[in-house]
Amino acid sequence: MPQEAPIPRFGHKPQVAFFDFACCEGCQLSVLQLEEKLLEILGHVDVVTWREAMTETSSEYDIAFCEGSITTEEDIERIRAIRKQAEVLVTLGSCASGGCHNELKNQWSMDEVLGVVYGDDAGGISTIPSRPISAVVDVDYQTFGCPVSLPEFVTVVSCMLTGQHYEPPNQPVCVECKLNDYVCVYEKGEVCLGPVTRCGCNAICTSFGHACQGCRGLMDSANLPAMLKALTREEAHSIMRMVVERHSLTEDEIAAKLRIYNNWPELRMEEAQPDDD
Amino acid sequence: MAAELLMTPYAMDRFMGRLIAEGPVMGPRDRRVQPGFVKFEWLSSADELVLEYTTTTIPPKKAFFPPRQPLFEFELSEPPTITAVQEATPFTLVGVHPCDLAGLSMLDDAYAREPAEACWPAARARARVIGVDCLPDEYCFCFAMNTCNSREGADLFLTPIARGYLVEVLTEAGEEMLRLSDVEDAEDEDRSQAQAFRRDKGNRLSASIDASPEEFAEILETQELGELWREIAGRCYSCGSCNTTCPTCFCFDINDEFDLGLTGGQRVRTWDSCQLQEFALVAGGHNFRRIRWQRVRHRWHRKFLYLYRTFGRPYCTGCGRCSRACTADINIVDVSNEVIARARGRV
Ligand code: SF4
Ligand code: SF4
Ligand code: SF4
Ligand code: SF4
Ligand code: SF4
Repeated sequence: MPQEAPIPRFGHKPQVAFFDFACCEGCQLSVLQLEEKLLEILGHVDVVTWREAMTETSSEYDIAFCEGSITTEEDIERIRAIRKQAEVLVTLGSCASGGCHNELKNQWSMDEVLGVVYGDDAGGISTIPSRPISAVVDVDYQTFGCPVSLPEFVTVVSCMLTGQHYEPPNQPVCVECKLNDYVCVYEKGEVCLGPVTRCGCNAICTSFGHACQGCRGLMDSANLPAMLKALTREEAHSIMRMVVERHSLTEDEIAAKLRIYNNWPELRMEEAQPDDD
Repeated sequence: MAAELLMTPYAMDRFMGRLIAEGPVMGPRDRRVQPGFVKFEWLSSADELVLEYTTTTIPPKKAFFPPRQPLFEFELSEPPTITAVQEATPFTLVGVHPCDLAGLSMLDDAYAREPAEACWPAARARARVIGVDCLPDEYCFCFAMNTCNSREGADLFLTPIARGYLVEVLTEAGEEMLRLSDVEDAEDEDRSQAQAFRRDKGNRLSASIDASPEEFAEILETQELGELWREIAGRCYSCGSCNTTCPTCFCFDINDEFDLGLTGGQRVRTWDSCQLQEFALVAGGHNFRRIRWQRVRHRWHRKFLYLYRTFGRPYCTGCGRCSRACTADINIVDVSNEVIARARGRV
C-alpha cells in the first residue's frame, strides 16, 4: 500500500496539473500507460488538471508537468504564469526539454513556415522559432524522450517527491545498450545514433534490434565530428566497413538524421565539444 | 598433464542436461530475437547451449559481476533497516574461451588486492567453470597477449575434435562434475586432433602488438604522444563500449534507487566506464580527466602500464571485444601499434 503520510517537501498531499504546448501529446498518453505505477504515484498526489485524463480543472496546483515546445508569444505568457503558480515545474519529454521535431521549422524563416502551412490564410497568425520550455523559464526537473522515457519519468517523480535533485544522465545510449547485453545494430550493418544520444530510456529501441533515432536528444558532449568520421571513413575494419559501404552517407545526410530531434540550438556538425581541447 | 577424456556430442548433451537439472548453468546461447548473436545467459535446456561461437558482446564476467547488481534493500522505517541481497546458490559457467578464462583470473587478482572487494570472490566460490577452445576472427589477438591457451580457473576444458570434445580434467571439482557424464578414454588420434585445433587457431591469429609488454609499458610511461591521443580522441564518442565489453574492466558506480512507495528502495551498483565524461568527476566539481584525449590515453595506460606494473601482465586478454564494439572503429591493436611506431620513430 502506498504510504498516505504528507510529503515533507509540500507539507500536504501535493496537487498536480498537466499542461501541453506544441506537441503530439504522446508523452501524456505514455504516462497513462504506466498503469499500476501510476496508481502508486497517485497515492502520493492529487491530480487536479489533466485534460487528457479528466474533465475537472483547477488553477491551484503545486506541481506542473508541462509537455510540448514553446512556439508562440502566447505560449511564453502561459508558461510564465504556470511557473509563477507551480512550486515545482517538470518538463515532460523531448519537445519540452530538448529539441524534438518542432525545432525542424527553425531551419526556415517564420514567414516561409507560415506560408507553407497556412498559405493565404496566414494573416493574423504569428509564430516564433520553436524552443524548449527551459529556454523560457526555470525548470526544476527535466525528462526526455519522444515519447517520454518512462523509467526516467518514474525516477524523476520519486526524486521530486523525496526532495532530491535529478540530473539527466550525460552518457550515451550505448551504455545502457551494453549493460543490457543487446546486439549493436552496427554489427548488423545499420546506423544508430546511440553513441551521441543521451541515455535514460534503457535503450528500448535497440532492445528490439532497432537503431536509436536519437529521440532523447544529444548528450552534452556528443562528438558529432566523430560521427562524420566514423560513417565516412574508408579504411575501416570489417564491421564499420560494412556500415560505411552499405549506406555511403554524405555529411548532409548524417546531419539530416541528427536534426530530426536536435535542432535546438541549431545543429552544427563541426562544433567543438566542451571536453575537447 | 591433466587427465584427458573423450565426450561425444551425445554424451555432452546428456551431461549438460544433468548439470542444468542439478543447478543453474550459464553458458553461450543464441538469441531468440536476433539469432546468430550468441550471449552468456542462464540455460533452461541443454539444446540452448552453443559451444561453437566466435565471441559475445559482454564477457562471462557478468556471471560473477552483473552489469546491474542490487547490493542491499533499505527501508526508511524507525529505525531504518538494511537487508543485504545475497545469492548463495552454486552454479556452473560453461563455454568460456581461453582469453575469457584469463580475464576472470585477472579480475580475481584485481579484486583480491587490498582493499579487497567482497562480492567477486564470493560469487567465484559458488561457481564451477567449464572452458572451451575456439577459433578467432580478425579482431582477436589472444596469441599476442599470451592468453590463447589459458586454462586459468577452469575445472574442465573442452577442445572440439572429430568425435566430439577432448575433455581436460583440471581440478577435483572438474572430476567430481564428470560423475554426471559418460566419458570415454581418449585415444592418440583424439589428442593429436586437439593439438591440430590449437595449431590451426594459432595460425589464424594474425593481429599482434609489435612490442613486448615491457617495452610497450615503457613507451607509455615515457612518451607523451599527445598529438596521437588527440587524433584518436577526435574520432572517439566517449561511449564507453570499449569498457563495458571488456573482460578486464572492473569499475562500477553505486546509486540509491527509491521505490515508488517512497519509504525504501535499493542500493544498486552498475558497471562504469573511464571513457565517460563524468567518470573522474569528484565532489566539488573537479574532473581529473575532463578532456577526451586524457580519457583515451588513460585506457591504454590502465591496461598496458599501471596494471601491467601492478600485476605483472597486461590487463588485456586480446579478446578484441573493444575493437568490435567500437562504432568509431578505434581498434586496440592498430592504436597500440601506432603508439609503438611513433615512439620508435622519435628515439
Ligand atoms: S516529445 Fe514526442 S511524444 Fe512527447 S509530445 Fe513531443 S512529439 Fe509528442
Ligand atoms: S546499438 Fe546503438 S546504442 Fe547500442 S551499442 Fe550500438 S551504437 Fe550504441
Ligand atoms: S533508443 Fe534512442 S530513439 Fe529509442 S527511446 Fe532511446 S533515445 Fe529514443
Ligand atoms: S568504444 Fe570507441 S568510441 Fe566508444 S569510448 Fe571506446 S574508443 Fe571511444
Ligand atoms: S582491452 Fe579490448 S581486447 Fe583487451 S581485454 Fe579488453 S576488450 Fe578485450
